[in-house]
Amino acid sequence: MKGYRRYFLNKALWFLVTFVFAFLLNFFLPRMMPGDPVAAIVARMAQGMSNASGVQAIYEQYTELFQTDRSMLEQFFTYVRNVFHGDFGFSFSQYPRTVASVIKASIWWTIGLQFPAIIVGWLIGNTLGVLAAYLKKGFDRVLMPISILVSNFPAFGMAVILMVIFGFTLKWFPTSGGYGYDLIPTFNWQFIWSVVVHYQLPFWSIVLISIGGQAIGMRSMSIYELNADYVKYSRFMGIKDRRIVGYVFRNAMLPQVTGLALSIGTMVGGALVAEIIFSYPGLGFTILNAVMGQDYPLISAATLIITLMVLVATFLVEILYGFIDPRIKAAQAD
Amino acid sequence: MRRLVFTSLCLLVVLGLVAGCGAVPTAQVVKETVEVPVTVLAPAETGGEAETGGEAETLPRSETMYFNGQQWNAVVGWNPYSSSMNNAMAIAQQDNARVIMFETPYLYNMLDGKVYPLLADGPYEWDAGQTQITFKLKKAAHWSDGTPVTAEDVTYTWDSNIKYSTNAGNNFKDYIDAIEAVDAQTVVVKAKLGDNGKAVNPLQVAAYLSGNYVIQKAWTQTLEARAGGESTAFMADAAEDVVWSGPYHKHFADDTKVVYVRDDNYWGQDASMWGKLPVPKYLAHAMFKDNAAGSVALAQGEVDVSQQFNSNIQVLWLNYGLPISTYLPEPPYGIGASLPTAFFNLKSYGLDQVAVRKAIAIAVDYPTIIANAMTNQSATFDQVPRSLMNPTPGEQALYDHDAVKELQWAGNDIEGAKKLLDDAGIVDTDGDGWRELNGQKLSYVATCPNGWSDWQAAIEVVAAAGKKIGVDITTNYPEWGVYQTVVTKSDTPLPEGYDIFMMWSDGAGPTQPWGRIRHLLSSEFVGMTVNWNGNWGQYSNPRVDELINAIPAETDEAKLKEMYTELVNIYLTDIPSFTLMYRPQSFHAVNESVWTGFPHQGDGTNPPVPPLDCTDGWSIACLYNVNLVNP
Repeated sequence: MKGYRRYFLNKALWFLVTFVFAFLLNFFLPRMMPGDPVAAIVARMAQGMSNASGVQAIYEQYTELFQTDRSMLEQFFTYVRNVFHGDFGFSFSQYPRTVASVIKASIWWTIGLQFPAIIVGWLIGNTLGVLAAYLKKGFDRVLMPISILVSNFPAFGMAVILMVIFGFTLKWFPTSGGYGYDLIPTFNWQFIWSVVVHYQLPFWSIVLISIGGQAIGMRSMSIYELNADYVKYSRFMGIKDRRIVGYVFRNAMLPQVTGLALSIGTMVGGALVAEIIFSYPGLGFTILNAVMGQDYPLISAATLIITLMVLVATFLVEILYGFIDPRIKAAQAD
Repeated sequence: MRRLVFTSLCLLVVLGLVAGCGAVPTAQVVKETVEVPVTVLAPAETGGEAETGGEAETLPRSETMYFNGQQWNAVVGWNPYSSSMNNAMAIAQQDNARVIMFETPYLYNMLDGKVYPLLADGPYEWDAGQTQITFKLKKAAHWSDGTPVTAEDVTYTWDSNIKYSTNAGNNFKDYIDAIEAVDAQTVVVKAKLGDNGKAVNPLQVAAYLSGNYVIQKAWTQTLEARAGGESTAFMADAAEDVVWSGPYHKHFADDTKVVYVRDDNYWGQDASMWGKLPVPKYLAHAMFKDNAAGSVALAQGEVDVSQQFNSNIQVLWLNYGLPISTYLPEPPYGIGASLPTAFFNLKSYGLDQVAVRKAIAIAVDYPTIIANAMTNQSATFDQVPRSLMNPTPGEQALYDHDAVKELQWAGNDIEGAKKLLDDAGIVDTDGDGWRELNGQKLSYVATCPNGWSDWQAAIEVVAAAGKKIGVDITTNYPEWGVYQTVVTKSDTPLPEGYDIFMMWSDGAGPTQPWGRIRHLLSSEFVGMTVNWNGNWGQYSNPRVDELINAIPAETDEAKLKEMYTELVNIYLTDIPSFTLMYRPQSFHAVNESVWTGFPHQGDGTNPPVPPLDCTDGWSIACLYNVNLVNP
C-alpha cells in the first residue's frame, strides 16, 4: 500500500500543478484576444442613439464597471479573490445577468443531453467492437464499413439527415427546442413527454456518430487481445468462449476508459452542432456566443468548469488504473 | 480485486446512465431558471391575470401569436430604464418604439411619417416661438395597478433619465431642457434654445415623445430606494415588480422562450383609444439559434410573425403553397427603410481621389448583390434611384429627383469606370493588370464582420467590381468583436485592412432622413474615441455640416427640399460612402394558418398599418385587427 500512496501523492501533485497553470491560462488567454468587449456592449445599447457624448458616457460607465481599463494583473487578483468566494461576476454579453445564472440556466440541458449520449454511444460502440473482433466474418464485414462511414460523418450532416428523415418527412419528432413551443414548463406528463420527444433527434445525432469511432477502436484492441497468449492458453484449457470474451473485453477496455473519462470531462463544453441545428438549449451555444462577444468572465468560468472536470476525470481514471493494472502503479511510483 | 473494480465500474456506468436520464431537464430543473412571474406581484385590484406561471400548461394555439427574430437569447429583466435587459419584445425605446408593455405618448407610423396619440390626448403643439411643446394625456390612461397615468409620471421619467444617465437621457439631454407638469393631464416639454431663441433641434424634441416610454413615478421611486440612488444599481435592477401601462406583460420567461399575457384591465379598451382589447391573449417568442431554425418554424406554422431574414422567402408560398406572405406580394416583398452602406476609408492611398471612389462605386454589380445577399428582398437602384433617402414615399418626396438624375448610378458601368480612371491618369503603367496612381499600385481590402453572410456576399461583389476595372480589391472578414472595435475608433485613421468596409445607416423615424444624413456625413463624429454614430470613413465637408445643422429648425418645405437636394448632390458627387442595397426596417413575414388580418399593402387600413411585426410604433394596431382563420 506504501507504493500506492506514493503513486497517489505523485498524481495529486501533478493535478495541482496542472490546475494552477490551467487556471492562469483560463484567465489570460481570453483577455489576449484582440478587440474590446465593452465596445460590443455599447454597440448593443447605443443603437438608435444619436447623441455623440451619450455614447461615450455609456462606454466609460461600462469600462469602469467591468474594470477593463485596469491592468491585467489587477484584474487577475480581483478575479482570484472573487472566484474563491464563488463569484464569477457579471456576464459581459448578458449583463446584468451573473455568470452563475447564465451557466445554471443551461448546464442541465447540456449534461442531460451529453452524459447519456456519451455513455450510450460508448457502451454500444464498444460492445459492437468486441463482437466484430470476436465473431469476425459477416458481422465484421458489415459492421466495419458502416462504422467507418458513420464515424466520419460530420456531426452537422448526421443532425440534418435525422432532421429531414424523422422531423420533416416522417414527422415523428419535433425539429427544434427543448420542449413544445406551446408549453410552459410544469411538472406533468404532458411536459415530460414533450421533453422526451424533443430529446430524441439531438440525442441520436450524437450517439450515432460516437458509436462508429468507439467500435473501430474497440475492435482493434480486441483483435490484439484475442491473439494474446492468455486467450490461447484459456482456449487450450477449454474455458468457455463467453468467459474468454469477458476477459478480452476487460483488457481491451483500458484505453477506452480513458477516452470515456475525457469525453465526460469535456461534455460541459456542449454539443454545439446538435444545439444549433435543433435549437436545443445548452451551454455549447452560450460558450460560442461568449467567445464571439468576448465575454471574458463567462469564457473563464466555462473553461474553468471544463478544465476541472477533465482534470478530475483523468485523475480518477489514473487512480483507478492503479487498482486495475498494478504495472502502471509500479512504473509510476518508481 | 480486479473483479471488484470491474463490477463497480459497470455499476458506475449504469448508475450514471440512470442519473443522466434523470438529468434530462424535467420541469423542476427548468423551473429553477424561471423568473418570478410578474403576475404574482400584480396588485389584486387590477383584476388582471392571476397566472402563476405553473397553472397554464399549454398556450392555446387559438389564443397565442408566435413571433421570431426579435429575441435571440434569454431575457435578462424588465427594467424599462435600462437598455441592457435584452427583452426585445417588451423594451425597445427607438424611433418606432415597441409598445406592448410600456407606452409612449405618441406612436410613429413610418408609412405616412406621422405620429398618432397613444397615452397622449390629441396632437402636440409647438408654441409660436418654437421653444416648447405642449400635449395632454388621456384621462382613461392608467397603470397596471389601477392608478392614472399623469403628467407627474412623464416629468419624473425624464428627470430619472437625466439623473441616472439612461440612454433616453443621454440621447436627448442636448435638445430638451426640462419636462414640466402644468396639471395632472398637461405636459410641457421645454426645448434647449439656440442663439436665435428657438429650439436647438425641434426634430429631436418631438422625437422624444414617440420614442421614449412613460414610466410610473411611484414605481420609479421604489426602484430608486432599492438601488440606493446609485446609477449602476438602478440600471442593473431586473425590475420584476415593474408597473406597466401597455396591453401585455410578463407571463413566463426562460432560456428558450418568453411569453407575454394580455392585461384584460388594459386602459386602451376605452373608447378614447382602441375601444377594445388586442385579440391574441398571449404573445410568445421562442429563441432560435439561427435564421435557418427560425425559418423552419415559420414554415411549420410554429411562428405567425417573423422578424428575421428568411432567405428566398417566396419559395415558401410559390413552391410549397404555404399560407405565408410578406407586406408586398412581389419583390422586394417589404418596404426598404435603411441603407446598408460601404464606407471608403478616405485616408487610404488613392481613396482620397473622387475618381477612384466613383469608379469603384459605379462598377459594382448591385443587381447581383440584391439577388444574392438579399434574395431580392430589396428594391433595386433602377426602381429607387440612389440618394440619401430610403424608398418610403415620404422620404422620396423630400428631394428634387431631376436635379440629381445625372449623378445617380445604377451600377455595372465597367466602361464608364475605366474611362473615369483613364481620364484621371490612373492607368496601368507597369503592365501587371492593375492601375497605379503616381506609380503606386491601387490595392485595397474590402471588409465586413465574419459570419454576416448577406454583408459578406455584398462585399465579394464589390471586390469583383474592382478586378474588372483594374483596381486590386481583396476581401477579409475579421470577427465582429475585432471589427467593431476598429471601425468605431474615429480618433485615429483606420488601420490597414479597412479600406472599404460595411456598416449600417438609420432606418425610418420621426427625425429621418435628417438623422440618417447626419450619421452618414456629419464631421462631428470624427475624432471620437468610441464612435457608434456614423461617418466611419471620416468624411469632412463644412457645407454639409452647415446644412445638417440648419435642417432641424427649418419649417419651410420648399427650402427643406432645396437643402436635402443639395445634400444628395454633394453625397453623390463626393461619394464618401455608397449604398449597397435597401433593407426593411424590420423583416416582416406572416404565416396565416392560424391568424389572419396582418398588414399588407392595400389592406384598406386607415391610417395604414406598417409592416413592423405588430409591435413597433403604429404597427401595434395590427394586434387589434387580426382574427382567427378558424374562429
